[in-house]
Amino acid sequence: MSTTTNVPVTAPVLTENEQLAQINSDYTERYGFHDAENYLYKAPKGINKEIVEKISEFKSEPQWMRDFRLKALEHFFAKPQPTWGSPMLAEVDYDDIHYFVRASERAERSWDDVPEDVKNTFDRLGIPEAERKFLSGVGAQYESEVVYHQVNKDLEAQGVIFMDMDTALREHEEIVKQYFATIIPANDNKLSALNSAVWSGGSFVYVPPGVKVEMPLQAYFRINTESMGQFERTLIIADEGSYVHYVEGCTAPTYSANSLHSAVVELIAKPGARIRYTTVQNWSTNVFNLVTKRAVAETDATVEWVDCNLGSKLTMKYPSVYLTGERAHGEILSIAFAGKGQHQDAGGKIIHAAPNTTSNIFAKSISKDGGRGSYRGLLEIAKGAHGSKSKVVCDALLLDEFSRSDTYPTIRISEDDVNVGHEATVSKVGEDQLFYLMSHGISEEEASKLIVNGFIEPITKELPMEYAVEMNRLIELQMEGSIG
Amino acid sequence: MTEIVDICTLQDLPPGAMRLVEYDGLEIGVFNCAGTVYAIEDRCSHDDGPLVEGILDQQACTIECPRHGALFDLKTGNPRTLPAYQPVDTFPVIIDNDLIKLEVE
Repeated sequence: MSTTTNVPVTAPVLTENEQLAQINSDYTERYGFHDAENYLYKAPKGINKEIVEKISEFKSEPQWMRDFRLKALEHFFAKPQPTWGSPMLAEVDYDDIHYFVRASERAERSWDDVPEDVKNTFDRLGIPEAERKFLSGVGAQYESEVVYHQVNKDLEAQGVIFMDMDTALREHEEIVKQYFATIIPANDNKLSALNSAVWSGGSFVYVPPGVKVEMPLQAYFRINTESMGQFERTLIIADEGSYVHYVEGCTAPTYSANSLHSAVVELIAKPGARIRYTTVQNWSTNVFNLVTKRAVAETDATVEWVDCNLGSKLTMKYPSVYLTGERAHGEILSIAFAGKGQHQDAGGKIIHAAPNTTSNIFAKSISKDGGRGSYRGLLEIAKGAHGSKSKVVCDALLLDEFSRSDTYPTIRISEDDVNVGHEATVSKVGEDQLFYLMSHGISEEEASKLIVNGFIEPITKELPMEYAVEMNRLIELQMEGSIG
Repeated sequence: MTEIVDICTLQDLPPGAMRLVEYDGLEIGVFNCAGTVYAIEDRCSHDDGPLVEGILDQQACTIECPRHGALFDLKTGNPRTLPAYQPVDTFPVIIDNDLIKLEVE
């Protein structure tokens, strides 16, 4: 993720059609390539009890996990497909998905032991390089399973556990059993039920009391095959007074058939702990990204979600924080960029369940070329959560008259002594702003980029430097040719 | 004021069975958990859905809300998983010879 390319300051003069064709033009080159399929196992398309049993058998799981999966499958079949959110949801064909693909035998601790073509993929994505430069640990998932996992030796010596979820179930079964699915039960929603039935890979992080993990841990998720389903499961437990920053990125090749990414992510911040979870989602535009993410923050704990959604065909994702302990703090920073044919239905939820808790939700969406950006959020202050404070700000920027922005905010307050603010704006790139910048000799395209960068800057400044650079580059690429 | 309400005989509520009792505007779920009877408010504190239509785990002594999967401890009424985060009321159970009775305020 640390590789950058120089974007020319002055773009060549192109016709509108040429400019439109240029959008995401380097996705295929940078992320959209795919490898030959030299797999150890690839499940046939479709989901049934046999597939779920096969996954459990492959992983030699304990009986309780096998039972959990089978019960979740029943919930998945029993629950109807949601009808809210996006009309695109009706296009998800659960029978046209491969639910399990095994690319390598195990999660290796050296890149040299990872199958060569898989290693080459991650080399092209810049993961080993980023690991050397600025990360405390890396997990790399290819299709259904993690192929590489490594954590800094000093952290390991301090008792930090960072490993793929399958290994964690084998090596730390008791901790996994204690927390798994307590934040997001299998039956929470149809997609969490599906994930619970067929989950594979993902990260397990445990940070002991008082340990601060100064450099981020990163997971990178890669889909390679067509019509693939990726269902990773992540569980992060930050024990008392500890700190961890976890970063995830994701890409896939561009195919005509749709793929499905449906993760479940559970975070537990114990008293005084802080977890920051950053996502830079850049799936190809044939991926349905339907993810459930939820955190609990106990007394004096802080959970921050920094959620950047650039890719995918449809994303529906609303990271949430339950503030269950007094003075807990929750923060959701969300950017969504919806281009042609994309619907980014993103937002967040904060539940104030204890007194004197505080929260912020800052959501920004940019829509262009007929893309649709939706903010969907919930702010709830429960009875007894007196003295709580919250601020919700959602801003949308429309870059043309074909694009769409929707805002669906819900606020429920059951306590009198609270302070809640909500602001929402929808704006177009203003003629006067463009005129002002162009009068200073800046081209229209550059002026437009500057306005967009200024719009998202409050969130990109929260990203680690390397990711902020990458994010700005991606946004610039999306913006290429946006002036017709 | 506490009232004692007759529910049914133990034979009518064998281990693994549960039933809804409506009394004076209250809806109470009564559960036989491996031979011990518990009674809690029949309301998921997450979104007010009924609990007695859920899955009873006799070993863990929990009821799972059928709507979003929140697990409630039948002994305490406390949620063991999200999305519920507030407890529901519990009711003392009296076994009088063979008869199950509840104390209701």
